[in-house]
Amino acid sequence: MLQYVLVEHPFFALTSLLYLAATLAYGLAWVSPSRLPGRVGTALMAAGVILNTAVIAGRWIEAGRAPFKSLFESLVFFAFCIALLYVAFERLYRTRLFGVAAGLMAFGSMAYALVKWDAEIVKLPPALQSAWFVPHVMVYFIGYAAVAIATGVAVVQLLASRFPFVQRLTTMKAGSVLSGAPLDLDRISYDAVRFGFVLLTVGLLVGSVWAKSAWGDFWVWDPKENWSLVTWLIYGAYLHLRKVRGWRGDRAAWLAVIGFAVVMFTYLGISVLPTAEESAHVYTGT
Amino acid sequence: MSTSPVSTSPSADAPESAATREARLTTLLVFGAMIVGAVLQIWIPPGPVTLVAATAVASLVVLGLSFVVPGRLRPTLSGFRFTSSLLIALAIFAILGTLILQGKPAALYRARYGLVGPVILALRFDDIFHGLPYAGLMALFGAAILASASLRWPISARRAGFFIAHVGLLISGAGAAASSMLSVRGRVDLFAGGDVARQVRVTKNGVPTGATEQLPFELKLDQFDLVNYETEYRIGYYEKVRLVRDGVAMDDYRLKTSFDPDLGWHRLPQGDRFRLKAIYPDFELVPRVSAAPEGPPALLVTLAGRKLWLQPGELAAAPDGSLAVAFGELRPPPPPGYPTTVLISSQDRQVVVHRADGDAAQPLTEGAPLLGGALRVEQLLPHAVRGAAYQTRSAEWRNPAVVVETEQNGRPAEVLATAAQPRGVFLREGRAALVFEKRDKEVKAFLSHVTARQGDQLERAVISVNDPFEFGGWTLYQVNYNPDDPTYSGLEAVRDPGVLWVFVGFALICAGVFYMLYVEPRLRGGGIERTIPGAASGAASR
Repeated sequence: MLQYVLVEHPFFALTSLLYLAATLAYGLAWVSPSRLPGRVGTALMAAGVILNTAVIAGRWIEAGRAPFKSLFESLVFFAFCIALLYVAFERLYRTRLFGVAAGLMAFGSMAYALVKWDAEIVKLPPALQSAWFVPHVMVYFIGYAAVAIATGVAVVQLLASRFPFVQRLTTMKAGSVLSGAPLDLDRISYDAVRFGFVLLTVGLLVGSVWAKSAWGDFWVWDPKENWSLVTWLIYGAYLHLRKVRGWRGDRAAWLAVIGFAVVMFTYLGISVLPTAEESAHVYTGT
Repeated sequence: MSTSPVSTSPSADAPESAATREARLTTLLVFGAMIVGAVLQIWIPPGPVTLVAATAVASLVVLGLSFVVPGRLRPTLSGFRFTSSLLIALAIFAILGTLILQGKPAALYRARYGLVGPVILALRFDDIFHGLPYAGLMALFGAAILASASLRWPISARRAGFFIAHVGLLISGAGAAASSMLSVRGRVDLFAGGDVARQVRVTKNGVPTGATEQLPFELKLDQFDLVNYETEYRIGYYEKVRLVRDGVAMDDYRLKTSFDPDLGWHRLPQGDRFRLKAIYPDFELVPRVSAAPEGPPALLVTLAGRKLWLQPGELAAAPDGSLAVAFGELRPPPPPGYPTTVLISSQDRQVVVHRADGDAAQPLTEGAPLLGGALRVEQLLPHAVRGAAYQTRSAEWRNPAVVVETEQNGRPAEVLATAAQPRGVFLREGRAALVFEKRDKEVKAFLSHVTARQGDQLERAVISVNDPFEFGGWTLYQVNYNPDDPTYSGLEAVRDPGVLWVFVGFALICAGVFYMLYVEPRLRGGGIERTIPGAASGAASR
């Protein structure tokens, strides 16, 4: 399989390798007194984003449509969203601490695409030939990437309160925290959830408007719709609970992790539900 | 989606107790709503009217009680803890709705869910989103929004997001309620050039109810177009997969990827290689005879302008039946029914022209014309083998075929594959296969050209998926076609007075959420989250 991907899909293979290499470099930055590994990690991640853009653009041209139809295409786009958002995140918060988590998720998405390989370019059925298709998918996947990063931060937050090594990382200047100031993990995670929640809201409602224009119903209790609503409700609960005493810190972090687990189920797990056979949203091959 | 209006703490111990009371009241309200709903459901069956009426009534009752009952009911209703609990409860219901099939016959639940089936039916979880427990939660949700708004009144720029988002939720909810109760949907089946439709067959959950609804206009299908994607030829790569259909395990092949038909080598996912050694866009198989060290002789003749190879015992005749050529190692017998036959023998290299009035013999000379040029003996091979050659009639893709060359574990193999009769070139003992296939059945669009007439008003439109047609208060959606009947078009007609309000609500929700999460914090002085009064002193904030 590896040989096939290297020969037939070299950009895909190279993008995956860049994400893996970035993860390793960011990991090295955790233990290195030098800033070099961190910088290399950033460079590799940025290169991965550029190449991932090329993979998406190439497929867009080849297919003559936005490459968001199949599971394979969506995973490649998901990896792109995670990496792109992470690079922006790194600049915004001036820390490379979460590069390992972001790199692992981007690489994991590409690796899963490789495992579930369905690279066939399929034609868009009439229902997907809509002006809503691209904004709906893009908004959702950027939202998914935001909550993925929030989860990465939440995991670090949970580990930091349990392992002194991770706690040290959150205040380490060299190669990790560029500002030198201790990181407020709870706030960073909240920021990412907040951003993701706005996008999940827009994505959910845009999907509903699209369903109305395609089928005449804005809500049909399709399993994907339901689980999208569940993710929205859980992150809604997260945002509300942050105002309740005792619901920041570890509890909020756990809720962010649970929210992301629900997001992943919404994305990849719907096919196991008994109601999936009646769904218009299940990827083939999942 | 509420924001704490106030939070005060008269003493260090009191807030703890307030928080406990609030948590207890929250639990009581949420579980109470579900239990009361479940009990009342014994007498009131689920349905859109049940949901809307129960939600509205219960919501107003709870809200009214919150204003008159002393204690912490209203602060609890408007608190974050209560809203969060409610959101989680609604999420659980949404999840249950995906675990339990909805709106199916009772027998299916008993068969599919076993012992749980009767419980599902008793709790009416077979229609979970129209039942009273769900209505109870929705009622609390509505009451929570209103109670919270009452405590946050009046509107200010720093709190506008809350109002925008929650008014949006209420408007969407009201629109959805109107849709649920007042909308009508049904099917309109039309045939191009056929009868005019004046009514719809009403459906519920996609199933006809048997009722009809009159349309306020006439609808006619002028033309129906089924548009397919352009035909293309691909080399499909399939892998064998194990599937379970209707409880029966079976093997099937699933398309994993495909390749353009080109002449380059390609690597396959399982590690093998293949290439197309030759491509014939307009394939034909032509017989070919070639010289060999042994075997029967063969004779090439040109008869009536056509070149033909003959082997001993074979005969060729002119299309008009005036002349035939027979070939043998020895002189063949004259075939009956032809005025003139030419008998050619290879051993003595002799040509005999046989007619009713006698025979005329002459030596066989290659390239010499006979009978005034009607026949020419081109070539005689003493020993030959017969085979076939592949060629293309033209460069147009009318009957394409390819020679697939595969290499498995270094072992090469060649197979001819035609798109007209696609068959697998199997690899890895049948675990994978390459198929040269024609793709021409993929539907790109189906379009109904319709004319709607209401009195003097006449309008023509093209309806397609994602492009409905609105007329006379109804919206017509393209939903069906019949590949075997190109004149048929299935439309869905919907009259939905609530949908506009649903979408107005959606826009407000989006704007409100953004405002609440990004604008309000800036208005409060740049902090990303509002500082919660009392939180530092240990008070329970809501």
